[in-house]
Amino acid sequence: MESSQPSTDSTTPPAGGGPGEFGLSRRPREIAGRMITFDNEGFFWTVDEWDEDVAVALAAESGLAELDDAHWRVLRFLRQFYRENGRAPLNRQLAAGIDMPLLKLETLFPGGIKQGARRLAGLPNPKTCM
Amino acid sequence: MKLRLTINGVTRQVVTDPDAILLDLLRDTYRLTGAKQSCDRKGQCGACTVIVNGKAVRSCTTKVGRLDGADIITVEGLGTPANPHLIQHAFVLAGAVQCGFCIPGMIMGAKALLDSNPDPSTDEIRHALRHNLCRCTGYVKIVDAVKLAGRFLRGELEPAALYPDPDGPKIGVSHPRPSALPKACGTAEFTADIHLPGALEVAAVHSPHAHALIRNIDTTAAAAMPGVAGVMTAADIKGSNRHNYMVSDRPVLCEDRVRYVGDPVAVVAADTRAHALAAVAAVKVDYEPLPVVSSPVEAIAEGAPQIHAEWNNVCLTQPQIKGDAAKAFAEAAHVVETHFHTQCNHQASLEPETSLAYFEGEGDDAQLVVVGRSINIHKHLAMLQEATGWENMRYEEAFVGGQFGIKIDVTSEGITAAAAIHFRRPVRYIPTLQESMFLSPKRHPFDMKLKLACDASGKLTAMGWDILVDNGAYNSMGNVVMLRAVQMLSASYDIPNVDALARLVYTNNPWGAAARGAGPPQTHYALESAIDLLARKVGIDPLEFRKRNTLHPGQTKSTGAVVDEWPFPELCEAIEPEYKRAVAEARAQSTPAKARGVGLGAGAFGIGGPGDQSMVAVELDDDGGITVYGAVADPGEGNDSMLSQLAADAMDLPLPKVRLQTRTTENTTANGPAAASRHTYMSGGSMLDAIGQLKAAMAEHKATTGDDLRKAGAPTRYMGTKKMVVGALDPTTGQGPSFESQVHALQLAEVEVDTETGDVRVVRMTCAVDAGRVIHPLNFVGQIEGGMDMGVGLALRERYEYGKTKDWVTFKYPSMRTAFDMQTIVRETPRPKGSNGSIGVGEMTLVATAPAVLNAIDDAIGVRIYDLPATPDKVKAALGELAAKH
Repeated sequence: MESSQPSTDSTTPPAGGGPGEFGLSRRPREIAGRMITFDNEGFFWTVDEWDEDVAVALAAESGLAELDDAHWRVLRFLRQFYRENGRAPLNRQLAAGIDMPLLKLETLFPGGIKQGARRLAGLPNPKTCM
Repeated sequence: MKLRLTINGVTRQVVTDPDAILLDLLRDTYRLTGAKQSCDRKGQCGACTVIVNGKAVRSCTTKVGRLDGADIITVEGLGTPANPHLIQHAFVLAGAVQCGFCIPGMIMGAKALLDSNPDPSTDEIRHALRHNLCRCTGYVKIVDAVKLAGRFLRGELEPAALYPDPDGPKIGVSHPRPSALPKACGTAEFTADIHLPGALEVAAVHSPHAHALIRNIDTTAAAAMPGVAGVMTAADIKGSNRHNYMVSDRPVLCEDRVRYVGDPVAVVAADTRAHALAAVAAVKVDYEPLPVVSSPVEAIAEGAPQIHAEWNNVCLTQPQIKGDAAKAFAEAAHVVETHFHTQCNHQASLEPETSLAYFEGEGDDAQLVVVGRSINIHKHLAMLQEATGWENMRYEEAFVGGQFGIKIDVTSEGITAAAAIHFRRPVRYIPTLQESMFLSPKRHPFDMKLKLACDASGKLTAMGWDILVDNGAYNSMGNVVMLRAVQMLSASYDIPNVDALARLVYTNNPWGAAARGAGPPQTHYALESAIDLLARKVGIDPLEFRKRNTLHPGQTKSTGAVVDEWPFPELCEAIEPEYKRAVAEARAQSTPAKARGVGLGAGAFGIGGPGDQSMVAVELDDDGGITVYGAVADPGEGNDSMLSQLAADAMDLPLPKVRLQTRTTENTTANGPAAASRHTYMSGGSMLDAIGQLKAAMAEHKATTGDDLRKAGAPTRYMGTKKMVVGALDPTTGQGPSFESQVHALQLAEVEVDTETGDVRVVRMTCAVDAGRVIHPLNFVGQIEGGMDMGVGLALRERYEYGKTKDWVTFKYPSMRTAFDMQTIVRETPRPKGSNGSIGVGEMTLVATAPAVLNAIDDAIGVRIYDLPATPDKVKAALGELAAKH
């Protein structure tokens, strides 16, 4: 039985399974001195691995040098909503929850609400199948 | 023409086209949606059965013009959930209602039979209901229900005598499913039953090519056809136009290339479905055919056409190395080398891939509501938001007419959501049966070279695998399917040395995804077949061989993971009397023309995979009851029973005081799919965690109601979680974390082979199973029976061949004609990490079936079929080869 992987060269496109770790979309990496598991879109795998230091480090990575009060209001609302509801809010629920216009919310974080705020708040994506 | 009809006791004047179909009249005009449509009005499924002038008829082939003066009874005319008919009671109490899509038709067929024959035999019931198809039950409990209904109707028994006390014990008792009576009475609304006034009907243009470039799409003629509101192509979709389940490779509508026969290319919206379908034929697509990659072997060949520019044809490679297989093979006393192949198959839920979408609200606040068959509403919502570019959306799960893995991914909803946004109108998409087959994922074909070795005593020493998985044109969750197969590669056994390689490969075949068991059924078929071949080589009875090689607690699986409990030897003991009886009967009854054989198939199926997580919330209500909030889809397995009985037991509440909120993204937790047999273990577990928190709060504040907690300043709602270890198999050794628990089964097939025709008849299947404590015995056994019926289809009949498999006849759907006797032997070894000792069982049930049947065929006639399904032509050919050798 063969057990070696097929050889690839630099011109070969990546595996069709996508960039996830071992095909299961989990990518551990070190942030703020801690190993944290992300999915292949950069979202937390587990909501509990988040803390404020990690949020600050991720913000810096995304080009946000400092998180001000408005940022923290958004992040704390998102985490509270997730804790209570087990899901991320729709944008209109976020806007209503912190009384901030959607347009401002979209520009507050690099990447907007989903790729920016939700990612920095440590909210996981809905899961697929294990 | 004008005619008079009496429908459910009400006489009506009907002005109609004489060619109008009774099913359409009932559903569209009178909103009597108990009668269902599945088979494209070909009279193949019986889901539309009603009674006309005392006889059961398939309303989808009955023309209204012939019915002047007719007396028609639909399921709604029998009873209501508040006041059910005795037959409806019987179907609920017998456990015959799973997804429920076929049940109104079954009940009407049963009524027509019982009206003329109050005490029918099993054969008479099977004959009367031979046109009524069911994918869930294996027909056993349907027959039981008709017999029970006969007893009720004959006055021998009252339903009340059989209903368990809702205040009594909750675990191990078959309380009626919360959804059973609405399904039996035809009031449970499946997606196509939902009234959506003014909705456009959509139909899709599908590729006739397996691989081609799209040069041009000309919609001019179609757009000008009667009733057509417009035609939508990929250019009209504002979002990513991609279904991003795990890999963003599958378009909602193809842009410049099609990759399998059936790929959707354009969508027509019209005032009626007939107009939409007519216009579909007028859409002109200019294709430039490309070389077709029709197998994984072709896909990995040097210079093979790449299916996707962004990704290599080889999607994923996962070796598994344990011990020293080369040394073990060299030292082995006995070795078998085999090569198996399994088919592409459709999961064949009866309900079409129906969905609908509409807006609530106006302007910037307009929310798009998508209704469909999803078993993972939050994941699918996120996919639809991204694909369509519309964020303010919610997903609602209607009642779902079976799914068996199909709905792990988005099928029709991308089209429906995009169409609602594009046309700014409510839309409904009821795909034809063939379209449903095009749109839905298939069971992955596996090509497996397997080498298995043992020592002189029959102790397994090594296995080697080379597995090629045909992913089809898109990935969906092919990675998970292949890795699950690798995770469970050593099945029930202690095999110390392993050298395996598994590869997942894009082709231009239909795309695969979850399919009941999702990977392990394919590898178990190969391994369990090879086990029998090796046992014969050594000269040891197959049951003894399996006993001798069982894994034991403290030993490791092929992943290197140590197992805590392993009640497989006990299952061997439990099935042994039946096995001995079956062998004796087969030997006594076998003739040259009708050869009888007996075969075994085992399985160990993992529950609670690495990385899995669940969240379910509970809230204490003001009457002291609780409401459970969690996206726990129930396409028929009985998750509503599981949640409500576990919760009522934990809270010591009567069942009516447990309320479930599981069907909308608006008020549920993102809890993962109804897949991997995970909901009992994961969602049941997280719900019990939440209940634990709630009970602690109630004790602390001496509260019995939600109001008590509020007055004490305490929350009324608590979030429970259950999390598996996060980790993955090592990419080079395949060693790593595995499932927290296993459900075990050992199945016994008894078959009769017609040696002239090659036709195989399953006489009886017996399943010995251990899935921990049983919450609901009828639901539990119902899963076993339905899974074995599906497994026999996989073994003997079913396959999906695009272009050839178009309906339920060409699919060779299981029916009363193919039904067989079944027996289930239940052992209940409590699982300490389970939900009140329970784990899931929905998939294990078919994992062991196909190998048991194939081993029985070999036992009967001495030939081995290496390529599923074992159709009569293959069996006959193998018999011919055997005869030529002698």
